[in-house]
Amino acid sequence: MAAPTNMHTTARRTAPDLAAGGRAGSTDPRDAADAAVLIRGVAKRYERHVAVDGLSLTVPRGTVYGLLGPNGAGKTTTIRMILNIIAPDEGEIAVLGRPVATSDVTDRVGYLPEERGLYKKMQVRQVLRFLAELKGVPARVADGRIDAWLERLGLVSEAKDWGNAKVDELSRGMQQKVQFIGALVHEPELVILDEPFSGLDPINAQALKDTVVELRGSGRTVIFSTHLMENAERMCDAVCIISNGIKVLDGAVADVKAEYGNQRVAVVLDGRAGTGEPAVLADPSVVRTSSGHGRLREIELAPGADPQTLLRRLVGEGASVERFELVRPSLHEIFLDKVGAAGIERGMSGHG
Amino acid sequence: MAKLWAVFKREYLERVRTRWFVFATVFGPVIFGLMLFLPPWLSRKGKASNDLARIAVIDASGSGLGRRVAVELNGGLFGDSSRTQVMEVAPGGVAAAESLATKRVMKKEVLGYLVLDSASAAGQRARYAGRNASQAFDVGELQRVVRSQVTALRLENAGMSPALARSIMAGGLRLDTERLSEQGRGGSGALSILFALVVAFLLYISIFIYGQNVLRGVMEEKQTRVAEIIVSSIPSSRLLQGKVLGVGAVGITQLVLWGLASVVLAKVRAPVLAHFGVQATTVALPSISFGIALLLLAYFLLGYVFYAALFAAVGAVVNTEQEAQQVQMPVAMLLVASALVIQPILFSPDGQLARVMSLLPFSAPIAMPLRLTVIPLSPTEVALSLLSLVVGCWVAMWVAARIYRTGLLMYGKRPTLGEMVRWVRYAR
Repeated sequence: MAAPTNMHTTARRTAPDLAAGGRAGSTDPRDAADAAVLIRGVAKRYERHVAVDGLSLTVPRGTVYGLLGPNGAGKTTTIRMILNIIAPDEGEIAVLGRPVATSDVTDRVGYLPEERGLYKKMQVRQVLRFLAELKGVPARVADGRIDAWLERLGLVSEAKDWGNAKVDELSRGMQQKVQFIGALVHEPELVILDEPFSGLDPINAQALKDTVVELRGSGRTVIFSTHLMENAERMCDAVCIISNGIKVLDGAVADVKAEYGNQRVAVVLDGRAGTGEPAVLADPSVVRTSSGHGRLREIELAPGADPQTLLRRLVGEGASVERFELVRPSLHEIFLDKVGAAGIERGMSGHG
Repeated sequence: MAKLWAVFKREYLERVRTRWFVFATVFGPVIFGLMLFLPPWLSRKGKASNDLARIAVIDASGSGLGRRVAVELNGGLFGDSSRTQVMEVAPGGVAAAESLATKRVMKKEVLGYLVLDSASAAGQRARYAGRNASQAFDVGELQRVVRSQVTALRLENAGMSPALARSIMAGGLRLDTERLSEQGRGGSGALSILFALVVAFLLYISIFIYGQNVLRGVMEEKQTRVAEIIVSSIPSSRLLQGKVLGVGAVGITQLVLWGLASVVLAKVRAPVLAHFGVQATTVALPSISFGIALLLLAYFLLGYVFYAALFAAVGAVVNTEQEAQQVQMPVAMLLVASALVIQPILFSPDGQLARVMSLLPFSAPIAMPLRLTVIPLSPTEVALSLLSLVVGCWVAMWVAARIYRTGLLMYGKRPTLGEMVRWVRYAR
């Protein structure tokens, strides 16, 4: 059980950051006009399976929003419906305050699909100009932005201008950068990234994270899907976890943690013998499980139990408490708890 | 509209810039040029040898046939017949004369020798041996001369005066043909059929090549997943339209360039050949009216759109080259079937088959241009055929757009026909 301990440390470190950053995510979801994306009762069924069922969620403007779930949960289907690539069988979707089917809305949205690729035989600059024109940006305006982006992401240097190279002459990492530029060149208000970290090396992943932070700083909304909870935990203001096409939970990260967490305590006792400490830890009305060896104990409280009661009883039984800490659960734990390991295992077989 | 233009522009420019396009555009006129210039150039070399007359004639017929042949070989009565040596021998002396002649041939004093005997005079056979015995033009010319002189000799022997016989024998016959239509004269008949064949074949090839081009383009977008980015910006139907039109414009560009090059080549043919000392008649271009030319272009465009839409649908449902080969078979068969009836239609351009094929959208783009260039057609028939083709195009585009929209984002298993039908019926 070494891995969970590891995650706890992560949770401990990041929880305060997220509490600070989570304010934007707690924007009142009923304020629909202000939402970047508003989904109400959306369902999409295919012949043999239901991709999304009864999904409702609100993405506030100016936030980084995580769409989480195992592979095959319906994340890509949801994203495609937000982008009007496919139409929902039921329900309504509004993007930036407009029905999604209007074309001037899609012009204000940038998209990085999960499966990436570009025209192999085209020049990088021409691909990017084409993508910009598809979003209604005139070629002349686009050219300046493209040059700036190429330089910024290191694709233009004194030694080599990759902008004039054909796409298939670029390395995979460079192609991903080009595609990323393609998603941002029209300066969209809403950026949707589907599994943006898959296949990225650590340096490019960091560059992507920096850019996402920057986008939020300039007031844009970023939605990204991932099955890697760690990334979501670090970057998102709010999340929605879906599994098998159904929403499991959603809300600001801090709220989600407060609601679904608060049930774990890390305790360090000095381990003296002869106290009533084992009896307290074995009391099912307070403690559900207790694990750990030596002085450090991970305690999961019984449902409805108050951590303060536990502390009082331990002290009352004469135990010497060196450390008593409420552990906010990581998203990963909440996810495991809610979706279940089975759901993840099932989803691992395919993409979606 | 600006976005449709963006797709159109990309499809057009990316293709026109390829080496393949430049090569094909230049190569077409080069082939056409070779067809125009090579035959006269080669036939110049193919004329009978100038010194065909430099032979020996062994005449054992006893009728003076040998001398007649010698005169004719040297350009008739006023020619110089000294180059041809006539040896009149008795029938028994042929073998000795032959061995003598053979030696002279080996010493290169003469090209060969001709043996004439009584069977020759009776119009049955003659014999020639020489170094040029395998040259078709020389042998043909020799045969013509001997045959005409035998005929003349036999006419005289039958009592006809030599002058009369010669005048009857004189003059070859050349058959010139000319096509007539309700509009009047319209170039030569053979040329018009040749032109019709070229037009039909060119349309068939172009529709096939550019239809395949669309299929490949769709497959590339699907395989590289660019499709997903594009359809997140514009409706898939817009992408389909832009692609089909863009590739079609490439085809039109190529056909127009080929057409212009052909007209120029045909115009400069005679002067250029004359410069090289080859006599050639000017090629009479079939007189195609501007209206017919426009109609031909319209049939190409509509036919191309019809097939390109179907090929695009194929491209959207397949994942690999091999799958594409299989799935496009039904579409390709429609096109091949239209090409197979080119010959029957040409033989009977106003027959039942021709009329029916002109009204079916899949074959009209091949059958109608073929008929239009050969016979005059009633405006009603042309209008009906065009109407059927336009409706066919509309249906093809509509069906293709629906299959395209769903297929473009489907990976993995290839859909069954039943699934595709459902896509078309329930697409949203």
